[in-house]
Amino acid sequence: MITVTDVHKEYLDGETHVRALRGVSLEIEKGEFLSIAGPSGSGKTTLLNVIGCIDTVDSGSVLIDGLAVTGGKKGDLIEIRRNKIGFVFQSFNLIPVLTAYENVAMALSLLGLPESQIRERTMNLLAEVGLSNMEGRRPAKLSGGQQQRVAVARALVKDPLIVLADEPTANLDSETGEAILQLMKGINQRRGTTFVFSTHDQMVMDYADRLCRLHDGLIESDELRRSA
Amino acid sequence: MASTETPPHGRSHRVRLQYFAMLALKNLFRYRRRTVVTASAVAFGVAIFVAMASLLNGLAAEGDRNLANYETSSAAITGAGYWRQREEYPLDILVENTGQILSVLDADGVAAAPRVAFRGELIVHYDPYPEDGSVYLALYGIDVERDPQVFRLAETVNEGRLPEPGEDGILISAWLAERLGAELSYPVTITTRTRDGFHQILDMDIVGIYQTPNPTVDRSQIYLPLDVVDTYLEMQGAVTAIHLALPEPVPGAADLGPVKEALERDREGVGGTGIELLSFAEMTEEFAAAVEIQDVAFNIVLVLLGFIAVVGISNTMLMAVLEREREIGMMRAIGMRDGEIRLMFALEAAAIGLLGAAAGLLLGARLVWYLVNHGIDYGTLLEGVEMDFRFADVLYGVWSVRTMFTAAVGAAMLAAVVALLPVRAILRREITESLRRH
Ligand SMILES: Nc1ncnc2c1ncn2[C@@H]1O[C@H](COP(=O)(O)OP(=O)(O)OP(=O)(O)O)[C@@H](O)[C@H]1O
Ligand SMILES: [Mg+2]
Repeated sequence: MITVTDVHKEYLDGETHVRALRGVSLEIEKGEFLSIAGPSGSGKTTLLNVIGCIDTVDSGSVLIDGLAVTGGKKGDLIEIRRNKIGFVFQSFNLIPVLTAYENVAMALSLLGLPESQIRERTMNLLAEVGLSNMEGRRPAKLSGGQQQRVAVARALVKDPLIVLADEPTANLDSETGEAILQLMKGINQRRGTTFVFSTHDQMVMDYADRLCRLHDGLIESDELRRSA
Repeated sequence: MASTETPPHGRSHRVRLQYFAMLALKNLFRYRRRTVVTASAVAFGVAIFVAMASLLNGLAAEGDRNLANYETSSAAITGAGYWRQREEYPLDILVENTGQILSVLDADGVAAAPRVAFRGELIVHYDPYPEDGSVYLALYGIDVERDPQVFRLAETVNEGRLPEPGEDGILISAWLAERLGAELSYPVTITTRTRDGFHQILDMDIVGIYQTPNPTVDRSQIYLPLDVVDTYLEMQGAVTAIHLALPEPVPGAADLGPVKEALERDREGVGGTGIELLSFAEMTEEFAAAVEIQDVAFNIVLVLLGFIAVVGISNTMLMAVLEREREIGMMRAIGMRDGEIRLMFALEAAAIGLLGAAAGLLLGARLVWYLVNHGIDYGTLLEGVEMDFRFADVLYGVWSVRTMFTAAVGAAMLAAVVALLPVRAILRREITESLRRH
């Protein structure tokens, strides 16, 4: 479903060249619950951004649903992000003036659905992530875990091909982080949604069906933990 | 997959727009200080603009009124080509058939007043005057009965009266009287030339003192009875102009058609190609240039106000936008188009602009109301200043809905543009870079 082939990515940090990805190849199948693990600076965020079409590569290719996105036109990439990719960020990134409901519905409104459908889908998802009766609250009135649940709902509401989560639990205490992982895992099992999340936390890795270890921009190991 | 369906376009677009508008509106309250500061700057600019426009429009209207009431009237019949040379006061480009023209106009019910304009030197001597003196002036022979039907000079006589027909009496302005030290019944001597160019001396008494709101008139014109002028200057009934009073809502809007037709009907009798009918616009062509200068000045004021408003709002606006870089990065990541993000910020800024404009219009309307009803007293400011401008001591504003509308729309657009500059800068950055900001 998603094929990453020999991707290289280098950043220029002042005078020094930082080689964030040095030839990464990866095949992601539909319904996987995949964790990208690795120490700080190993290239996890860069890899997720490349898959999520918000960063470019120097060489190599990325195919999403058989479509080459490397070197794609800006407008086409926006369409892919809009329709096929859900993002969950480490720091939640909710819009503070919008309620939980509005944060989720706003993302869905981009797809051009009628209001009635937006409402139905949004309410269903908020219930699924355990936020029934909290749809009217703003992020400031929600705990970190609840905010991340809203973010998960926002990513999922458009029924994406894949959800990319960059260290989704890093800003949460371990208990809350685990709850988020259970939530994502549950959705993965019920709906078959593909999840790719990065982490350097062992507890988080333990939830993964498949674990890719990244080190210095290279995949060090790639193992199935349990059958998906 | 449901997400790849393409829904009917128009409606989906509207739903999306509703969400953008909602977010824009909510952000107004999020940055309350920014909203208040920006809206205040806009309000200030709009109020000043509206008041300035009111005064400048008032100035133009006043100028037109003063021209029409004391110099040009709504239309005039002159000898062909006279108007272009009128400043030289020629007595060889004349309306000869005065009587015939007046009877045509009378039959049509058009108020008309003949005048003879000429130049002369006014000479006064010590005792009763404080000292000897002389001044070159424009003199007007006026038909004492007809003139008040066309001009408003008679209403401005505040000492004495208009000279009577056949009387060797003159009407001078208060301005001139003060400079000469003249009072009612003081004698004056006027030297001039007749129609045929012979020297002529007129001995007259001052019978009236006037004061119009038109400084040009006050500073250069004195009036005598038309029949007296006709005799001394051997005009044989000819005049330099016949001024007409036509119904018109504002100066320059009169319909000359009927008069033209009436004159056409008796073409030979009124003088054929020897005369021409001039509209207010034709008579005031040269002032149109002055109005253009006024427009330029107005535009400079506008640019200055715009500049002040931009400086006033750009900083607060800039901060409020830059602060949201990560939010913008998130929106781009989840598939919002650049245009949609720009639209959202433009809506937000335009709302602030409109808010400010509304407040500015309220304040501006209050100012305009004052200017329309009380005016600004310019008289003392302009005392002794030579100006070829026709306005009174008190300048009144006028209402202009169009100006107010322009100001409101302009303010909203200005605010939007100011907000879009930092948005543009952020959209030029990489999404990943924006997402890494704190
Ligand atoms: N925009 C950038 N400019 C310069 N260097 C960058 C940029 N983005 C990433 N890097 C560098 O590339 C390398 C890989 O970064 P990346 O963020 O992908 O690592 P990571 O595994 O996500 O690390 P962390 O666990 O700290 O989030 C790092 O050395 C980082 O400093
Ligand atoms: Mg990272």
